Amino acid sequence: MKSSIDQTLQNKRVIITCGTGGVGKTTLSAALGIRAAIQGRRAVVVTIDPAKRLATSLGLSGLGDQPTDLTPQVQAAFERAKLNGASLPEEMKGTLAAIVPDTRKTFENFVRELAPSPAAAERVMSNPIFQIFAKEFSGTNEYMALERLHSLHIQNHYDCIILDTPPTRNTLAFLEAPRLLAQFFDEKLIRWLVLPANKIVATGMKKAFSILEGLTGASFMSHLFDFASGLFSVQRNFTANLKRITELMESPQVGFLMVTTPTPTHQEEVDHFIQTLKKQGLHFEGIIFNRTLAYLKDEVPQDTARAKNPAWKEAYDLIHALQKRERRVIASFMQKPVQVCAKLPELARDVHSVEDLFHVALAFDARSDFNTGES
Amino acid sequence: MYSVSKKIAVTLDRNLVFVHGKGGVGKTSVSQAIALGLAAKKKRTLWVAIEDPMRPPGELLPQGPNLWHLNCSFKLAFEEYAGLKIGMPRLTHLFVQNKLMQYLAKAAPGVHEIVLLGKIWYERTRYDHVIVDMPSTGYGLAMFQSTENISHLFGGGPLHKDAESMLKTLRSPEETGHIIISLPEEMPLRESLELNDFLIRNFEKNPAAFLVNRVFPQINETLELSPALTERINPLATSVEDYAQMRSWLESFNLRIWKDAGIHYGALRQVAPDLQDSESPLIRLLCEQLQREAYL
Repeated sequence: MKSSIDQTLQNKRVIITCGTGGVGKTTLSAALGIRAAIQGRRAVVVTIDPAKRLATSLGLSGLGDQPTDLTPQVQAAFERAKLNGASLPEEMKGTLAAIVPDTRKTFENFVRELAPSPAAAERVMSNPIFQIFAKEFSGTNEYMALERLHSLHIQNHYDCIILDTPPTRNTLAFLEAPRLLAQFFDEKLIRWLVLPANKIVATGMKKAFSILEGLTGASFMSHLFDFASGLFSVQRNFTANLKRITELMESPQVGFLMVTTPTPTHQEEVDHFIQTLKKQGLHFEGIIFNRTLAYLKDEVPQDTARAKNPAWKEAYDLIHALQKRERRVIASFMQKPVQVCAKLPELARDVHSVEDLFHVALAFDARSDFNTGES
Repeated sequence: MYSVSKKIAVTLDRNLVFVHGKGGVGKTSVSQAIALGLAAKKKRTLWVAIEDPMRPPGELLPQGPNLWHLNCSFKLAFEEYAGLKIGMPRLTHLFVQNKLMQYLAKAAPGVHEIVLLGKIWYERTRYDHVIVDMPSTGYGLAMFQSTENISHLFGGGPLHKDAESMLKTLRSPEETGHIIISLPEEMPLRESLELNDFLIRNFEKNPAAFLVNRVFPQINETLELSPALTERINPLATSVEDYAQMRSWLESFNLRIWKDAGIHYGALRQVAPDLQDSESPLIRLLCEQLQREAYL
C-alpha cells in the first residue's frame, strides 16, 4: 500500500510546505522534489530563499529566477543508489528542477502587468513609499511566491510543483498574505486618498488628515497621495488577480503540508494552523515530523571506556530523553484526527549535494500505518 | 585578558537588551532565562515579546518577584503613541478610530515597526532591565531599518525626531546591549554573521555579544575526524553512538565559522527535556547555566 506522503506526491499538482523557521523546511522540500521525480513526476521545487540555503545544500553556486534542471544529478544519484542495492523503480522517469524566484523582480513585473500604462507603472515604482513597501511589507514575499506558483501552474511544464514557503515568524503569516495585501488595495479607503483635498467634506476625515500631516510632515503627505493614486490605477486588475490566486489555493489540486519538529512547544501552533486551513477551505494533507531521532538504534557502546566516560553518558542520556519526548509528542498527535504523513530523520551531517539529498529523499519514514516506536 | 563571560555580562547588564537570532534558535527561552536571572538579582525586569500570536496582546503580566512580561501589540501601542503625540483625548480618539488612519498605520511601511520599537523604548525608563525577544532575523531587521526609512520618508517631522532619539539609544553602549543567539549548525551560524554585519552597519560603536545555544556534550577526545566518518556517503546516522559522535564533532566543526570570523562566544548546553513537557523547568535550568557561566 502506498504511504500517505507518496500519495500526496502522486495526486497533487501543487504542494505547499509550511512551518516556522528552524524546522528544516527547505531541505525537506527539496528531498520531496527528488522523491516525486523518483515516482516519475515532472517536479519543480520553488523556494523563497534569501539565505541561499537551497543552493548550498545542492552543492550549487547559485540558483536563479529561471528553472535550473537538476535531472542529470538526480539520475546519477539514482544509478549509484541502485548499484548499492537501494530498492528503486527500474528506471527514473521523472525530472527535477529548482527555482529561487527573485521576489523583487516578480513584484515589479507584477506592477507592470497590472498598471494601465507603462507610465503609470513607472510612477508607482519610483514613489519612495512604494519602494520601502515592496521591500518590507510583510506579505509581499508571500504573495509574490503565490504569483509565481500561479504562472508555473498555467505554463504546464511541471506536474508536481512544490512550494517551500518563506520563513515566517509564525506559520499563519503565509496564509494571511493575500488577505493582507488585499486590505492594502481596499478600494473604499484608497478613494479617500485620491480625492482632491478640497472635495473632502466629512469633518472627521478632514481633522484626521490634518493631525496626520502634523505628525508626518507635508512631504510624506504628497508621497502618500501620489502612491494612492498609483494603487488606485492598478486596483481593479489586482482584485481580479487575487481572485485567480485564491481559487488556485482552494482547488483540490493544491495540498498543504505542515513541517514541524517533534517538540511539545510546536503543538499549539500546529493545531492553530490546521484549524485556520480548514476555515479557509484549503486542503490539508498532513504533518511531517522532521529531525526525528527515534530511528537511531540503541546499542551498548562497543568501547567500554566510552561507556564509563561521563561526557558519553551525558550524550546518551540526552538522546534518550529526546527520543522519549519525540515518541510522546508523536503519539499525542496520533490521538488527534490529524494525518501524520511522514517522519524524516535528523541527519548526522549537513547536506552538500544532490546525492546527499537523494539519501534524504529515501529516508522518509512514510509507512501508511506507521506507529510511534522504533523504525 | 579578554573574557567572554565579562563581555556577555556587561551586555546583559544594560538597561535595554535585544536578543537577536533566526527562527528556532531558542531566543524565547534564552531571553526569558536572562530576564529571570536579572529579576533574581532584585532588579525590576521586563521581558518583552513582539506580537506573539500565541499570547494575549498588550497585557502586562506579573511573572514573579521583580519580573513582568509584555506582549507588545501594534494596535495598543499605536493608540498610546497617538495619545502622547496628539495630547487631547477627544482628538486622539477621532484619529485612531478613523478607518483610513488605521489603514495607513497598518500599510505605511516602517510605521508598524517604529511604533513597536517606540513602545519598548518608552517602557525602558520604568525598569532596570528590559529584555526583548526579537522576531526572527528578517522581520527583526526591518524593525531597525524602519528608523532609517522614517527619516527618509518623514524628513523633519515629529516622527522623524522620535526615530532619531530611539536610534541614539540603540547605538549607545551605555544604554543598550545586543546579543546574537545561534545554534551550532552551519546555516544559523552563517546567517548570524549576516545579522552581525547589519548590526555593525547600524550600531557600529555598540557591537553585539554572541551566545551559542543547545550545545551537545563534547565527547570527542580529538578534533581529528576518522576516515570512517569523513568518507561516509549516507548523511544519516546508524546508531545512538554514531549520532552522538557525529553530532559532537560536527558542532565543533561548524563553530569554526564563528572562530574564523574572530568571534568570541559564550555557550549554553542543550538541556534534556523533562517529562512534563513544561517550559518552566527549562527556563530555570537555562537561567542556572547563565549564572554558572557568570553571564549574569
